Amino acid sequence: MANNEMSKILEPDEKSKALELQDNLRADKYPLKEYNNIGKRGVRRIDGYEKASGYAEYTIDVQLPGMLHMRFFTSPYPHAEIKSMDTSKAEALPGVRAVLRYDDPELPRLANLGGHFDSEAPVLPKVAHFQGEEVGAVVAADSEEIAEEALTLIDVEWEERPFILDPEEALQPGAPLVNPEEFPDGNLEKKTVEEHGDMEKGFAEADKVIEFKCRRTHNTWIGPERPCGVFRWNGEYPEVWVKQQRPYVAKRVVASWFGGIPMNKIQIHCPYQGASFGGWSQLEWNMGGHYCAAVVAKRVGRPVKWKFNRREDFYGGEMDEGVYYFEVGAKNDGTITAVRAKSVMANQQYPFGPITHFADNTRIPNLYGERLQARVSKGPTTAVRCEQNPNTLPFSLVFGRVAAELGLDPIEVALKNDGCEGEDMAWLDGYKAAMGFPVRDSLRECVEKGKAAIDWDNKWHASGMKKLPNGNMHGMAFTWTHEWDDSAGSSEMAIRIERNDGTASILSCRADCGLNAETAYCQVAADELGMRIEDVFYRQQNDPGFFTMSPDSSTNMSVNGFAIRNAARILKRKILEAATAPKAMSQRGSYAPAFPGMKPEDLDIKDSVIYVKANPSNRMTLAEFVGPSGPAGPMAVYEFGEGAERTAFTPPLFAHGWQVQMGSYKEHHRPRPRLCRQAYFIEIEVDTETGDVEVKNVVTVNDVGKVVNWEGCEGQQYGGAYMGIGRALSEEVIHDPMTGVMLNGNLLNYKFATMLDIESIDTELVETGLGYGPYGVIGIGEDVGTVTPGLLIPAIHNATGKWVDELPATPERVLRALGRA
Amino acid sequence: MSKEGSTALEYAKVAAPVTEAPVRFTVNGEVHELWVKSRWTLQYVLHDKLGLIGAKAFCDRGECGACSVIMDGRPILSCMTLAIECDGKNIETVEGIAKARHPLIEAYVKNSCMQCGFCTPGFVVTAKALLDRNPNATEEEIKEALAGNLCRCGTYPQHPKAVLEAAKKLQGG
Repeated sequence: MANNEMSKILEPDEKSKALELQDNLRADKYPLKEYNNIGKRGVRRIDGYEKASGYAEYTIDVQLPGMLHMRFFTSPYPHAEIKSMDTSKAEALPGVRAVLRYDDPELPRLANLGGHFDSEAPVLPKVAHFQGEEVGAVVAADSEEIAEEALTLIDVEWEERPFILDPEEALQPGAPLVNPEEFPDGNLEKKTVEEHGDMEKGFAEADKVIEFKCRRTHNTWIGPERPCGVFRWNGEYPEVWVKQQRPYVAKRVVASWFGGIPMNKIQIHCPYQGASFGGWSQLEWNMGGHYCAAVVAKRVGRPVKWKFNRREDFYGGEMDEGVYYFEVGAKNDGTITAVRAKSVMANQQYPFGPITHFADNTRIPNLYGERLQARVSKGPTTAVRCEQNPNTLPFSLVFGRVAAELGLDPIEVALKNDGCEGEDMAWLDGYKAAMGFPVRDSLRECVEKGKAAIDWDNKWHASGMKKLPNGNMHGMAFTWTHEWDDSAGSSEMAIRIERNDGTASILSCRADCGLNAETAYCQVAADELGMRIEDVFYRQQNDPGFFTMSPDSSTNMSVNGFAIRNAARILKRKILEAATAPKAMSQRGSYAPAFPGMKPEDLDIKDSVIYVKANPSNRMTLAEFVGPSGPAGPMAVYEFGEGAERTAFTPPLFAHGWQVQMGSYKEHHRPRPRLCRQAYFIEIEVDTETGDVEVKNVVTVNDVGKVVNWEGCEGQQYGGAYMGIGRALSEEVIHDPMTGVMLNGNLLNYKFATMLDIESIDTELVETGLGYGPYGVIGIGEDVGTVTPGLLIPAIHNATGKWVDELPATPERVLRALGRA
Repeated sequence: MSKEGSTALEYAKVAAPVTEAPVRFTVNGEVHELWVKSRWTLQYVLHDKLGLIGAKAFCDRGECGACSVIMDGRPILSCMTLAIECDGKNIETVEGIAKARHPLIEAYVKNSCMQCGFCTPGFVVTAKALLDRNPNATEEEIKEALAGNLCRCGTYPQHPKAVLEAAKKLQGG
């Protein structure tokens, strides 16, 4: 059978299966029967040596011949307008090559400058809405030093305007406007309400009603690599090095500039990325530096690198800053009957209200959540590992309060209320069975593992009851939630088998933020193709033009995994088909098949060797099969008549796979019940004299459905635990209330966790197969760092019997809760 | 903003006018001779002038350890060291440690001590300096030595494992 006839039969088969899998409510219908590399421990990291040895190049390391260095002017005031600006002294400084101003005729009034969605924003704003904002001017010079010096020579006449830092203050009647340009009618940007059930009935059924309040202060991402980028014009064509989690989106943004640049003329590089956990890449103005660099690079005819300093990386933050109010009704047995919550949020970017997680994964029938989104004079916020912080914090606080106030074990309270969209576990089990999932109780499995790991049954106690010999109070807490990876998005990836040695290259560009995802995609491709892991390689830094999801929209493997798997399955069919078809055709005829007389289904591939299933000794390595390309190019040996030896040149072995997958956001799609649960345990000591909280042990139990890369999953667990503990105990951006100036934009005074801040972490993975991704996977990256902060308030209560009402729980706030400050 | 002394740079200009001087130092066994400005940090010279990009500027002011290099046997922060003061010094960077096939590198890869990897070279350098002076370092001593290196991805629990493994290997284990 000729190649193309075979492909008509085989290829659509895989494609139709792929399309069928886009039914987003079902379990993976076509998992592998056997896993060799998927889920195997000790697979060598692709990026390991480069990163350990210092050779890994990040965007901020890029240096090009003749490159200029560009720095932004920033606002000294939290809210002020530039009335006039004199840049003549800066322009006259030797070594300064360009000063771009807000009133430059080359700058459009608005441009698409990136963000989670496309945005329209001024490239160089004239009005600053937070202290430190990049406004007014940018200087490009021969060195960063000269650019910095030139910035000090810019004279600005400012008109200072009133500012407000607190979201509740911003909503007071008569409060001055903090952003009259965008929100001329008031500082309330948006109000949203979510409501389910009958609140009156819910509270009437309760044995106890608990009311409380909590505040979360401003915290941020801290990208080890600061925001930066390099822009070069190769004649008419842009070449861009981005520090961006979504390189494809960056390319699309560049394509919208200067009247439109065709996508195929833009070259994007995404070198290694010093993580920003969503953060910077999701903000509206994040391509502003590139826009200025593009204008300057064109004007000067040299490549331009722009970069922020450390303080400027404190540009904005996570979107959970605000004040949260709760009223909770519960029965004495721990059944929660109603939750009413209100959150007053500062600059919150996305509309995640305080009760979303109660709807997502509990049977609580009566819920009311009101969210007021206020504007304040601080930087913008976005999903910083991640947008669910404003949901998980209320969730942990409510469950912690209910258990403590009713004197119940918090684990029992969780299990009693587990469910989905107001439905109980019996309903959820029915759903699992109907959709082809295993009927397993994810939360119970997580809880059992975690309890054993932390010795819960022996160590947990009622609040304020356990004083240790060293004088400290001992506390424990538990919290839980679902994994919210939406397994949603569009992604395409390709695989090519290399000539000469038959190795496989994965093609697609995405940001490496350290998740070890590239190795994981190789594991999937290796198992699907039947290849050895060392024969599959993926370097994600250069753009072949495919739209691949990066760490993006809370989804990685659960969509990209399908894309790479689909590509691998199509490619494997192609290989087997080529192995049984005439090897190559040319003007002089065709060549015998590698496996004459066989059909593709008679063959299989294992350990990079093609073999006959009925007779495994009849085999040929992939390298032998694809053969040498020939010293003077493919076909040369044959075409130039150097004897009768025929080249083993096969047809190109390349396949492209993709996945389009709908998510579970209820407003837009069919609801997709969350099936995988996560459980978190903590053991602390509180020094009641100093207010110091010592974290002795964190146990993080995550049902990831199916593990693809163990070390990658565990990395997200302990890494998330450290980020979570920092957020809970010390991470806080502090602004001076008198001037609105950020006071601690550095790593000494903004304190995230160090090696010594957690004594011990136990990482436990659960594999129920309940994820919507390939092989039953679901994500893990966002959950741990987001949920663990909420553990600390119930833990401190368990230790001391007192409620801290503000995060981070600094020693001062702990002492205040204890009535000692 | 006031015109004078309003930034660190302005202050530095008043306090110490920019001069330039030749320095000669050894980096990873190679002798370098170059003219440096008095304000240039060693991190800047290594990273931007010599292309040794493993010395990373994470905080840029002595708060994180990412720019660590070994100078005359001691780990130092290259962002807090002026290049002009390094005349005659012997400097070892992470690239040199890798080139010498120090077992720390492979132990770091095996234990997945990196995520985004931006801070990883600083950890490797600090750990190498520790093992140079204390080949039998205990887990506690390793933690203490590495406590000043910040990692935002939270790879912390893996480092002591890797350093202990490398120490064992160095002793023929």
